[in-house]
Amino acid sequence: MTGWLIRLAPLVLVAALAALWEAASRFSFADPRLLPPLSDVLRVLAGLLQDARFRGDLGITLSEIAVAFAIVGPLGLAVGFFLGESLAAYRMFAPALHLLLSIPKSIFLPVFIFAFGIGFLQKVIFAVTLAFFIVVLSGIAAARSVPAGLVTAARSFGATRAQIYLRIYLPAMEPLIVEGLRMGLIFTVTGVLLAEMYGSPRGIGRVIFAWGEMFKMPELFAGVLLIVVMTVACNELLRGIEEFRKSRRRGFR
Amino acid sequence: MTTGDRSAGAADMIAVEAIGKTYGSGEHALEALVDVSFAVREGEFVTLVGPSGCGKSTLLQILAGLVPASTGRVVISGRPVTGPAPDTIGVMFQDAWLLPWKTAVENVEFPLALRKVPAAVRRTRALPLIDLVGLTSFAHRYPDELSGGMRQRVAIARCLVQEPRVLLMDEPFAALDEQTRTRMGSELLQIWEKSGGTVVFVTHGLTEAIYLADTVVVMGTRPGRIIERITVPLPRPRTIDMIGSEAFGRLRNHIWHLIAEVRP
Repeated sequence: MTGWLIRLAPLVLVAALAALWEAASRFSFADPRLLPPLSDVLRVLAGLLQDARFRGDLGITLSEIAVAFAIVGPLGLAVGFFLGESLAAYRMFAPALHLLLSIPKSIFLPVFIFAFGIGFLQKVIFAVTLAFFIVVLSGIAAARSVPAGLVTAARSFGATRAQIYLRIYLPAMEPLIVEGLRMGLIFTVTGVLLAEMYGSPRGIGRVIFAWGEMFKMPELFAGVLLIVVMTVACNELLRGIEEFRKSRRRGFR
Repeated sequence: MTTGDRSAGAADMIAVEAIGKTYGSGEHALEALVDVSFAVREGEFVTLVGPSGCGKSTLLQILAGLVPASTGRVVISGRPVTGPAPDTIGVMFQDAWLLPWKTAVENVEFPLALRKVPAAVRRTRALPLIDLVGLTSFAHRYPDELSGGMRQRVAIARCLVQEPRVLLMDEPFAALDEQTRTRMGSELLQIWEKSGGTVVFVTHGLTEAIYLADTVVVMGTRPGRIIERITVPLPRPRTIDMIGSEAFGRLRNHIWHLIAEVRP
């Protein structure tokens, strides 16, 4: 009973926020020109999703995200795993890593444009740069989360190096790998949208930015709402996979 | 009570020959073990006892082929040890180190799975061992659902599933409470008497060392070395009551003084 309540609570919260949004605009607590009612925004969104040009922009943004994520996920985890496993490499690269992590990457957008133009490639490279360091940190944490004793025990059973990586490391690191990919996805989406808003001929980020400049608030909110829903859905999907795996792994209790 | 070195012979299952282990080099070199030699007969139960820092765990890891020795060599079942030899040697640690994502019986099967033994064969070999260690009704539970003692029982079964001729145990019951430790010791003796394997058991508990052993090897520290080899005169099978006997007390006292004298 309470379990259901806890599960329902986020949905109730979302519904309450939606109702508040609608009411604030309809009864003019908020300026309807700045905050159009949710129902209007949803109607505009439905229209946009029929629109070929908008769907084209959406497709470009999604493929930029997909390509960037497909690069930064494996790359960041591999580099992180290497740094987590090799103390010498970690000592060599960790200071640079932390320095680069703390620099706000968005101020380099003009440089990225000079170097890579304003097309697909630049979006992918910027998103990969933005997400890379956070995924590396997750990779390091994942490699270090494997207890040395499990490895020693496996060695005593005659496990080969490949078996130790596949049958000990991989399952032991799985929760932190999924967590790292989740963070990586969030940063990839942010990177692509930032780069699109800063300078791009196409893409959702560009479109949303233009609507803002033209004061087209219903369209602006429709775009934002779409991005939010899609990001949350992806995030929840990854989290759901991990929760499901965990329940399968540890037995139901 | 007899003491002194016994030279290696044909019936020896384990021959430890002049083992030395040095960590680091030059000025900062740390001699963990110096000139350690002893032999273990087939079917013998030997305990290694000594103060912390005497290198008894390092010695066991060298016997297991997990850590290379700096000098000397170990011969087990006629073959020099160069690395882990799971078909001859089973190793147990202070922590059970069960895979948390596998059930008790799956953990017992794990060494066989590494050797690509078919699943059905693995199960038929693992289940009787789960029964042997008294965990029949816990076979399909995950490690975090088991007590510390139960986890070590699973680890014993996991060792036995490889049918090793030698069991090397590194303080396997040290993290358990005293009652559980004594009970686990008795059960280990029963299993050992049935299976007839050879056991080398590292402990810092004198009572445990005497209660379990045919021979107690007493080690000293700085550097780690053997200071005495004692044959335990108590008959088999051992019972808990023997721990209170006069002979047991005298022996315990003797070892206690040996260790106290070398303690820095």
